[in-house]
Amino acid sequence: MSRPIHGLRDWLLQRLTAVYLGIFLVYLLVHFLLQPQHSFQQWHDWVTQPAMIIAAALFIMALLIHGWVGMRDIVLDYVHATGLRLAILSLIALTLMACGIWALRVLLQAAI
Amino acid sequence: MTTQRSGPVYLNLLRIRFPVGAVTSIAHRISGVLLFLSLPVLIYLLDLSLQSPAGYEKTISYINNCWFEAGLGLVVWSFMHHLLSGIRFLLIDIDKGVTLQTARGSAWLVNLCAPVLALLYLWWIL
Repeated sequence: MSRPIHGLRDWLLQRLTAVYLGIFLVYLLVHFLLQPQHSFQQWHDWVTQPAMIIAAALFIMALLIHGWVGMRDIVLDYVHATGLRLAILSLIALTLMACGIWALRVLLQAAI
Repeated sequence: MTTQRSGPVYLNLLRIRFPVGAVTSIAHRISGVLLFLSLPVLIYLLDLSLQSPAGYEKTISYINNCWFEAGLGLVVWSFMHHLLSGIRFLLIDIDKGVTLQTARGSAWLVNLCAPVLALLYLWWIL
């Protein structure tokens, strides 16, 4: 890998995404706490509001960045053999990208 | 004559006493990995619940399964711990609570509040 790891940039990204992820998830948990009884229609309508779709799409992107920086840092700390390290990092990147595409697809399908 | 030790040192991990902040920190990592691993399951549930009224009912019945609830408990604890210790790290980044005494206190607070909040939340919602 010739691309250097941008330590300060990633450090900042990790914290900015953390703030957004935290606010969004606390909002979700409080919503579930206050409105526990959902019918399918109520749930579907709530998720597919335009503002929720946008907030959730941003959440997914923030989660991909946050998950990548965090998991990569853990692998770099504990896995030292180059081949194994590359294999695990690739697997993590693929998993995150697949999850991101899948989650966006779920949202868009529900919204259409 | 003193001799320099250079060979491998055996560390019995069970006998090393971690300071409370180290427990908070390592649990932040462990909970992060658990949250990462739970992603496919959570997206699957979101997908199922949004597909049709039948899928929605199926999602509810999954959530009410006791094995699933145990897993869900672990995910909720992971989230609570990751959030609380994350807030603690962010505060320490901006120089809040950096003295040893406060840092230890906040570490204890995070370690204890995460499981309590997780149990309270699940008890409330299920």
